[in-house]
Amino acid sequence: MSTLADSTTTAVAAALAVEDLEVAYTVRGIDRAVLRGVSFTVAPGETFGLVGESGCGKSTSAYAALRYLPSNGKILHGRVMVAGKDVTGMTTSELQAFRAHDASMVYQDPAQAMNPTLRVGRQIIESFTLLGQSKEQAAASALEALRKVRIADPARVMDRYPFQLSGGMQQRVVIAMALACNPKLLVLDEPTTGLDATVEAEVLDLVRVLSRESGAAVLLIAHNLGIIRALCDRVGVMYAGKIVEEGPSSEVFDNPQHPYTVGLLRSLPRHGVRKTERALTTIPGILPLIGTDLPTCVFLDRCPIASDLCRSIEPPWVPVGTDGTRFTRCHHPDLITEMKEDLPVVPISLLAPSATQPDVLELSHVSKTFRQRNLSVPALVDVELGLSEGETLGIVGESGSGKSTLAKAMLGIETVDEGGVVSMGGEAVPSPTGSRSAENKRSMQMVFQNPDSALNRSWSVRRILMRSVKKLTGIKGEEANKRVEALAAHLRLTPRHLDLKPRQLSGGLKQRVAIARAFAGDPRIVVCDEPTSALDVSVQAAILNLLADLQAEQKTSYVFITHDMGVVRYLADRIAVMYLGRIQEVGSTDDVFNGPNHPYTEALLSAIPSVDGEEKVRIRLDGEIPSPANPPTGCVFHPRCPRVIMGVCDVTEPLLLEVSPGHSMRCHIPIDELRVLQNTPVTLG
Amino acid sequence: MSDLEKPPVGPEEIISTPGMDVLVPGHAPTNAPPSERKQARRENWRLIRRRPAFIFGVFILSVWVICALLGERITPHDPLDFRAGSHLSPRWEFPFGTDATGRDVLSRVMAGARDVLRIAPLAAFLGVLFGVMLGMLMGYLRGWFDTVASRIVEAFLALPVVLIALLAVTTLGSSSWVVTGVVAVLFTPIVARTVRSAVLAERDLDYVTSARLRGESNLFIMFREVLPNVMGPIVVELTVRVGYAVFTVATLSFIGAGPPPPSPDWGAQVSENYNSIISGFWWTTFFPAAAIATLVIAVNLIADSVQSVMEAS
Repeated sequence: MSTLADSTTTAVAAALAVEDLEVAYTVRGIDRAVLRGVSFTVAPGETFGLVGESGCGKSTSAYAALRYLPSNGKILHGRVMVAGKDVTGMTTSELQAFRAHDASMVYQDPAQAMNPTLRVGRQIIESFTLLGQSKEQAAASALEALRKVRIADPARVMDRYPFQLSGGMQQRVVIAMALACNPKLLVLDEPTTGLDATVEAEVLDLVRVLSRESGAAVLLIAHNLGIIRALCDRVGVMYAGKIVEEGPSSEVFDNPQHPYTVGLLRSLPRHGVRKTERALTTIPGILPLIGTDLPTCVFLDRCPIASDLCRSIEPPWVPVGTDGTRFTRCHHPDLITEMKEDLPVVPISLLAPSATQPDVLELSHVSKTFRQRNLSVPALVDVELGLSEGETLGIVGESGSGKSTLAKAMLGIETVDEGGVVSMGGEAVPSPTGSRSAENKRSMQMVFQNPDSALNRSWSVRRILMRSVKKLTGIKGEEANKRVEALAAHLRLTPRHLDLKPRQLSGGLKQRVAIARAFAGDPRIVVCDEPTSALDVSVQAAILNLLADLQAEQKTSYVFITHDMGVVRYLADRIAVMYLGRIQEVGSTDDVFNGPNHPYTEALLSAIPSVDGEEKVRIRLDGEIPSPANPPTGCVFHPRCPRVIMGVCDVTEPLLLEVSPGHSMRCHIPIDELRVLQNTPVTLG
Repeated sequence: MSDLEKPPVGPEEIISTPGMDVLVPGHAPTNAPPSERKQARRENWRLIRRRPAFIFGVFILSVWVICALLGERITPHDPLDFRAGSHLSPRWEFPFGTDATGRDVLSRVMAGARDVLRIAPLAAFLGVLFGVMLGMLMGYLRGWFDTVASRIVEAFLALPVVLIALLAVTTLGSSSWVVTGVVAVLFTPIVARTVRSAVLAERDLDYVTSARLRGESNLFIMFREVLPNVMGPIVVELTVRVGYAVFTVATLSFIGAGPPPPSPDWGAQVSENYNSIISGFWWTTFFPAAAIATLVIAVNLIADSVQSVMEAS
């Protein structure tokens, strides 16, 4: 096979060489193929990324590289070589030594990677004593290791327990431990998925610097294409257990040569595209289940350019270009360009939100204070917001900023503090939800982040929808049945789906059911709490299109909570930026994305790794989000603000003032000065 | 067939697949026809059948169930008949020997299965039923009700089983109904605790929030939304409780709080005869005791298998 020949020539130099690896999981007694011949190499000091939808075998490849497969996984064929050693043939004790000295892994959740009952220092020291250092040596090495991962006060951090550190700090400690043995291979499995954008940016910077410094080969697994682009020298695009395209990451993302890569990239909201301009492109169909027999091209069923050739002969691994760094597994790389032009782009017509009608939802002086023992924790502070008909209000901010509490306050899941008023259509509504009128309940519904949690797993789809139709509209009997079917059809669910249980559906279909349920009573407002963050990008595109369509048709208003700036830019008409329970900036999507911005928004925007590889000046935020129980004096953002004016910002809290029509922010710095500082092009009108 | 030579796959092996949620058993693909789920169930059933523990458990249990159902019709002698010689050691005519009054121990052991198999499953079922109701209320309502009920449950669990049983039997008299009730009440707090913790994990899921948002009542949410999702641990608890019930019923009859003599109850047989072990008449005690042990083991083997398969799906 050509792949084998390619890799053996470089195998001597490679820190990691995976050769024609086939892995299967035994599920219910049957072997099901997960990896169907994966080959790639990573050179020392190089960062190699694996991307693809969940279930395509990225993590399995990473685990197999360290021979760390779950007990029902087995390697059927192929070899893994790390620094010239054959990992696949090692005995248990050899494997132990290999994992101790040659390779390390960093997992998604740093909190689970540490022992919560031991001080951080002891855990780091342990990873050095394991290498044979004495207690004193190890303690010194631990301090040094923490300094290396840019922890300012290592002695103090060593004295803490993991739960006393923030997520970003924890992940740095885990990385420090992973680097303790000076590994030749570092495997990072979604290292920043659980972290906020600003923290994520810092960790990514750190990984970039450290991999250069240490000379370790890095294998990075991520579903976020922007992260891969920002961090990886080369990238492999995986689909259904095969690498379908490989090459330098900038080239793969700028000029994809496999229909799957093209589809993935197109489904991202990029280049500032808005829902008013066009719908997002989706990849039709779904990933084949593991163990499915795929004799020819793995992407065949979903490929828009598949031919009879693709149906009969497995596509070869062909080089693209002449420099020998790019490959694709496609019969028709020459047709890719045609595919680009072929796909229809459907613009969605949307009503511009009119200013004359009363707001469908209005929050005035809404605060929410949680009581914890004797402490009062303000989660929302004096929030003023309006939402007009057919409008999408995006709410962005890091975790702990109060986004979800705000949603709960709107829906009446949380009661708001005395003096705060939530009104719908100009009429104050009570909380909790139970005390609201049937009409109010019908008018405002919610789409949750995780459909697995939001759908009752022992109910069928039909029962889930039926119950909401009956309860929210009062329709009964045959008519209700008809309405359920109409609703399902509207959300592009087939009648067959109605009799399935949620776990039989894919993530995207589940989220559609959840959306259908929210729309069961023709709501006027739907609160969406990160509805696409648990989904793959191609599925996300379909869901975003659907939400935009529904809105265009039914003039529904959305409150859209997200941390994904690309998504919010695509869907939102207005954006509110929250920090520590306060709205720091609110304005039209153009206002927020074009600036001038509140310094916090500025930092947030600059932190997003872009799949387009645009050069950006990144604004670093120092420190961590303060505890809401003990907010800083003056402007709550001042301790982390790069533009802080001491003597002013730390004394008085700025008011939320309108800086231009419809654009307000909470900052002491005059808008003109911000414009100069942020180098914003002056736009008129 | 090579299929048979492979070791059975444990549930823990099935669920530990990193980053591949589609692998979870029963997690059928998109657009899956309904038969996909049936197939998953069939495959689970195939796994459980392949467990030697399950087969062995079912075999022993069926022996006792047949004894209980047919009773005197299949015993070699009348279990209440006094005509044989007293304390005959095991021999061809009396494989388990005879007791002090000359009754056939084998016949008594076989007939004794009826009492225990009538009382234990019913008691376990009632205990689980009450436990589910109490646990559901505690876990779902939380707040002061949970605090108070939890303390009461803990206090109850601290009391010795025998003490409560004796108290109940002396005040209510000893009949199989009282024994059933006592065992059910003894089990209620234990089951309640299990159900409570399962419900605690469920009540914070978004489908409960969603039900509140459309204005469902607490009762509806508890018993229509949440209950089906905690059936797994409840079924496991039920099978485990049957095993314990056998044991508890035997204990109660041993201390004289069981069905009155001359009923051939196993616990009562042990209690009547254990004094004579010292004189060398071991068989009168050994065989009923072994009967208790085998039944408990059989039920536990089945419970174990059910638990593994339930937890996997």
